[in-house]
Amino acid sequence: MKLLALAVLLATAYSPVLALWPQPQSIETGSSTLRLAPGFQITVTGHGVPGDLLAAVGRTKKALFSDKLGRLVVGRGAADAPTFAQAKSLSRLTLTLGKGASFASITSEAQKAPEDRDEAYHLVLPADGSGATITANSTLGLFRGLTTFSQLWYEHGNTVYTVNAPVTIQDAPAYPYRGFMLDTARNYFPVDDIKRTLDAMSLVKINQFHWHAVDSQSFPLVIPGFTDLSDKGAYSSEQVYTVSDVRDIVSYAGARGIDVMVEIDTPGHTAIISQAHPDFVACAEASPWATYANEPPAGQLRFVNPDVTSYIGDLFSAAVKLFPSTMFSTGGDELNTKCYDIDEPTQSALNASGSTLEQALDVFTQKTHKVLEDKGKTPVVWEEMVLVHNVTLSKETKVIVWISSENVKAVVEKGYKLIHGASDYFYLDCGGGGWVGANPSGNSWCDPFKTWQHAYSFDPVANLTAEESKLILGGQHLLWAEQSGPQNLDPVVWPRAASSAELFWSGPGGNASAALPRLHDLSYRLRQRGVNAIALQPEWCALRPGACDLTA
Amino acid sequence: MRSVYLLLLSVHFGFVLGLWPLPRSLQTGTSTLRLAPNFGIDIDDAHAPADLKEAISRTKAFLKSDKLGRLVVGRGAEDSDALQRAKSLETLKLSLAHGAPARSITDEARLAIGTRREEYELHVPVDGSAATLIANSTLGLFRGLTTFEQLWYEWAGQIYTVEAPISISDSPAYPFRGFMLDTSRNFFPVSDIKRTLDAMSWVKMSQFHWHVTDSQSFPLEVPGFTDLASKGAYSSSMVYSPSDVRDIVSYAGARGIDVMIEIDTPGHTAIISAAHPEHVACAQASPWGTFANEPPAGQLRLASAATTNFTANLLAAVARMSPSTLLSTGGDELNTECYAQDPETQADLKATNRTLEQALDIFTRTTHAAIRAEGKTPAVWEEMVLEHNVTLGNDTVVMVWISSANAAAVAAKNFRIVHGPSDFFYLDCGAGEWIGDDVANSWCDPFKTWQKSYTFDPLANISASQAHLVLGGEQLLWTEQSGPENLDSIVWPRAASSAEVFWSGPGGNLSTALPRLHDVAFRMRQRGVKAIQLQPLWCALRPGQCNIDS
Repeated sequence: MKLLALAVLLATAYSPVLALWPQPQSIETGSSTLRLAPGFQITVTGHGVPGDLLAAVGRTKKALFSDKLGRLVVGRGAADAPTFAQAKSLSRLTLTLGKGASFASITSEAQKAPEDRDEAYHLVLPADGSGATITANSTLGLFRGLTTFSQLWYEHGNTVYTVNAPVTIQDAPAYPYRGFMLDTARNYFPVDDIKRTLDAMSLVKINQFHWHAVDSQSFPLVIPGFTDLSDKGAYSSEQVYTVSDVRDIVSYAGARGIDVMVEIDTPGHTAIISQAHPDFVACAEASPWATYANEPPAGQLRFVNPDVTSYIGDLFSAAVKLFPSTMFSTGGDELNTKCYDIDEPTQSALNASGSTLEQALDVFTQKTHKVLEDKGKTPVVWEEMVLVHNVTLSKETKVIVWISSENVKAVVEKGYKLIHGASDYFYLDCGGGGWVGANPSGNSWCDPFKTWQHAYSFDPVANLTAEESKLILGGQHLLWAEQSGPQNLDPVVWPRAASSAELFWSGPGGNASAALPRLHDLSYRLRQRGVNAIALQPEWCALRPGACDLTA
Repeated sequence: MRSVYLLLLSVHFGFVLGLWPLPRSLQTGTSTLRLAPNFGIDIDDAHAPADLKEAISRTKAFLKSDKLGRLVVGRGAEDSDALQRAKSLETLKLSLAHGAPARSITDEARLAIGTRREEYELHVPVDGSAATLIANSTLGLFRGLTTFEQLWYEWAGQIYTVEAPISISDSPAYPFRGFMLDTSRNFFPVSDIKRTLDAMSWVKMSQFHWHVTDSQSFPLEVPGFTDLASKGAYSSSMVYSPSDVRDIVSYAGARGIDVMIEIDTPGHTAIISAAHPEHVACAQASPWGTFANEPPAGQLRLASAATTNFTANLLAAVARMSPSTLLSTGGDELNTECYAQDPETQADLKATNRTLEQALDIFTRTTHAAIRAEGKTPAVWEEMVLEHNVTLGNDTVVMVWISSANAAAVAAKNFRIVHGPSDFFYLDCGAGEWIGDDVANSWCDPFKTWQKSYTFDPLANISASQAHLVLGGEQLLWTEQSGPENLDSIVWPRAASSAEVFWSGPGGNLSTALPRLHDVAFRMRQRGVKAIQLQPLWCALRPGQCNIDS
C-alpha cells in the first residue's frame, strides 16, 4: 500500500514543533529560524485570478498575524527569542498554477465529484528569506497549500516565525472524501454556527459538508414549491434555512474548498412531513414510539402510494436546484416495518398491487433516484439500502456505513463506493448519556464516547482486498444533534473531528503520541480563530509533549 | 422525613410552572395573570442592604429580558385570549419577618453551614393585588426572588403566568447545595467563574467549592506565598490575584453563595516544586503511573517538619483570603510509593521514628490547627477518614467522592457528609481517556446524566440517627478536558439536578422534572449561559412524549 508506506515514513521524520494538521504526505524541514516580514505579501501569478482565491489570500494574510500561537512548550517560545535577531525575514509568498492549468474558482474545483478533485500542491519555504512558493494544478490545490502555509508559524513577542526553515512539502490527500456531517433537524443551528464550522473544517482540509438537513423532528429547509414543509415543520419561522441562507452556506463552503452534500432522509425519518401532508405519512407520532421508530416521533413516508413517490421525486428535483454538488443523499436508514404493518393505506395499496413492502421500496427508490440521476446527480444512501433491503441501485451510488465498521466489507463486496461513518469510530454524540425521558440508567446507545485517539486508529481498508480498497472514497465524523445545539457544537466537534480529517488526508497508521502535540496546536489555533475547541488535556500536558502519555 | 413533602407535591404539580428547584410546598390556580408594564418590587425597609437592592434590580431586569415562551407547541399562542382578560400585577412586596435581622445576603450566605436561613413564603394573588414575599433573612428573600423570576413566561410582549394564584412556602432540605470547579488542570478566567456563580444562584445553590490548585498549576496568588503562583501558574495572566478572589467571593456572596476554597494537600501538589523543590517528593517522577493517579507526580513531604510548617502557614494565609467558615485541605489519593522512594521522607521518618501514617496524622493535625486558628472548619476528602488513621475534629466535613457506597462508612464514623460521589455527580465522566497514546474510556464511565444524578438518595444506607450528618451534596467538574470552551455545556443544565435533589429532597419524578429542566435550560441560555439541549426541541415542546415508555 502506497499510502500506508508514506504515513509510516512520515511518523519517523516527524518534527513536533510543526503545527501542521493534517500531516503532509511528504515534508522536509530544517532548523533555521525564519521570520515573517511585517509587510509580508502573498501574490498570485497570472491573469484572471478568481475572486475566491484572492479572498482566501486575504484571509490567510490576516490569520498569519492574528493567530498569535505561542509554541506549546514551557516558556511558550521565550527560548526562541534569541534567534530572532539573526533570523532572515520572509517578505513574499507566490502562488502559481502549474503549466497548462487554467484558473477556475476554488468553489467550482471543490464542487466537482470527489474522484475528480485535484487538491495536490507543492510548497517551498527557503531559509534565506527569498520568496516562498506554492504551486498546484488547481486553485483548490493552491488553497490547500495556503492552509498549510498558515499553520507553519508561531508567535512570540509580536514576531511571527518558524524554527524549522527551510520547509519543503509535497502534498496530496490519501482519500478524496473527507467530511463532516451535521444534523440540523433534531436541534436547529443558525447559519453563523454552520459557517464557523465550515471555517474550522477548511482549516483541517475537510472537503465535504454532509448536511443532514431534515428529519422526523423538524423540517428547517425551505424548498421552493414545497415551502409548506418548513412552514409547518420547522421549529419556528426563525429556525429555517431560506433559499438565500442555503446559497450563502453553499458559497461560503465552496470558497473554502468544501462541497455541500444535502441529505433529505427518506422514506424513514420523515414524521414531520405529516404536519403539511398527513396523507403521506404512516404511523405519524404513533405510540408507543419505540414500536415504530428508533426514537420519537414515529412516522415514515407511505412509499407504497404512487402519489408519495412522485411527490418525493418532485421534492428532490426542487431541492437539487439549491445544491451544486454532484452528490445528493436520499438517506434510507432505519426503516421500521411495523409502522407499515399497522398502516391501513399501506396495507391496502400492497394488497391492491400484489407487491411486497420490499418490492414497493424498490420501486420508490428507483423512481426517486432516477429523478436525481436524470439531473446528473449521484445518489448517496445509508448502508441499509444495500445490506438490509433488496433495492435496485445504480452502481454509481455511494454508500455511507454508519451502524458498524464491521459492515464495510459487505458493502464493498457488492461493488459500491463507500464513505466511512461508522458509529463505533466516528459518532461524536456517543457517550453523552441517554436523552429519552424517564430513563434514569439510560446510556447512549453507542457508548462509549469516541475519543480522537480511537477515531485516529481507524483503518479504512481493514479486511479489504486491494480491489475492494479502491472503492473507499474516504470518511467523516458525524454529529447527531439530539443533545446538541449552538451551545455545545464547537466543544463536541472540535478538535475531535480533525482526527478523521488527518486520517483520510494523510492516510491511516499515524502515531497518536506524535499527533497529540500537533492536535493541541490545532485546538489553540481554532480557539484563537473563534472556535471553541476543547482542551484535550491539562495545559501542563499540552506544554510538555509526551509527558502525559500512558507510559511516560 | 422531610422528603415526604415532595412526593405529595408531585401530585399537585402543574408542569407549566418553570420552577427549579421545586418548592417544598406549592399551591397553584388556573388563572392568567400579567405583569403590569410598570411592575415594581417594593421593600418595606428603607435600610435594606445594598446586595438585596441589587438583587431586586437584577430580578426586575430578568423579568423583562428572559422572554421565555412556554415550552409547548405554539409557545404560548394559545394563551393570547386569556391574556386579554387577565388582571395585572403591579407590585411585589418584600418584607422580613418581625424581628429578623436586616443583614446583607452576603453575610447570611456565609454563616456556618446549617445555620443559614433560606426559607421564604411567596404569595401571588389572582386579583392583581400586591404579591408578597416574606422571609426570616435577606437570604430567604433572595431565594424567594429567584423563585418569583421563574414564575413567568412571555408571549407577544406580555409577561404572564397561567397558574395564578400561587402560594409557596419553601425551605431547603439540605444546606449544602454545591458545585465544585477545578481551576488547576485548566484555567478559567474570573468572568467564567462569575457566570457559573450566576447560574448556580438561579437554581438556589449555596456553596461554591473552589478546587483552586492541584499538581498541574497553582493559579492562586497567596499573600506571602506569591512564588507559588509566579512559578506555578500556567502564565502570568492565568492567575487569581487577591483582588480577583475578593471579587469572586463578593460576587458569590451577593448571590447567596458561600465560597469554600480547597488547597489540596498533601497529595496533588507537584507544582509546588516549581517554587519549593525542597517540599515536594517524587516531583514529576517517571513513570507517573507508579507515583500518582495522573501526571505529574509530586506530593508534599508530609514527614518533614519544615514542609508541615510551610503548609500550615500557606493554609492559614489562604484562610485569611476567604470569609467562609469552611476551608478544604483535600487529602485525596495519597500515593505511598512516592514516599517509599523518597530518601528525604524516609530519613525524616527514621529520625522521628514514625510511620508514614503517624507522620500524616501530625501533618493533618498541624495544618488543621492552623486553619482553625483562623476560624475555619476543615473539609477533607473521604480517604482522610476511610483510608488513613488521622485525628480529625468532630466537626470536620467529609466529602465522599470515590463511590456513593462509602457515605455510610463515613456516617458510621460520625462525621458530617457532603455527597459528591463519582458514580452520580462527576460531570467529567464519559468523555474518554485523556492520557496520551491510550485508547481507553474515562475511569468513571459512563457519563452521568441528569436523570442518574436526580435519582440519588442522600440517605441511602444511612440510619435515621445519622441522617443529621448529611449536609447535602454537589456536582463536580474536574477539568482535565475542560476549559472556558466547554464549561457551560458540560455543567448546565446537569448540575441543576443535584441542586433540586438537595433543595427539594430526593424522590422527585423524572417525567415531571424534565419539562421544568428544559425551562431552566432555556432561561439559562437567554441569560447567557450555554446550557445544552437535553433533547430535540420537538421533545421539549411536547412534555412526556419522548419518555421511554410513551
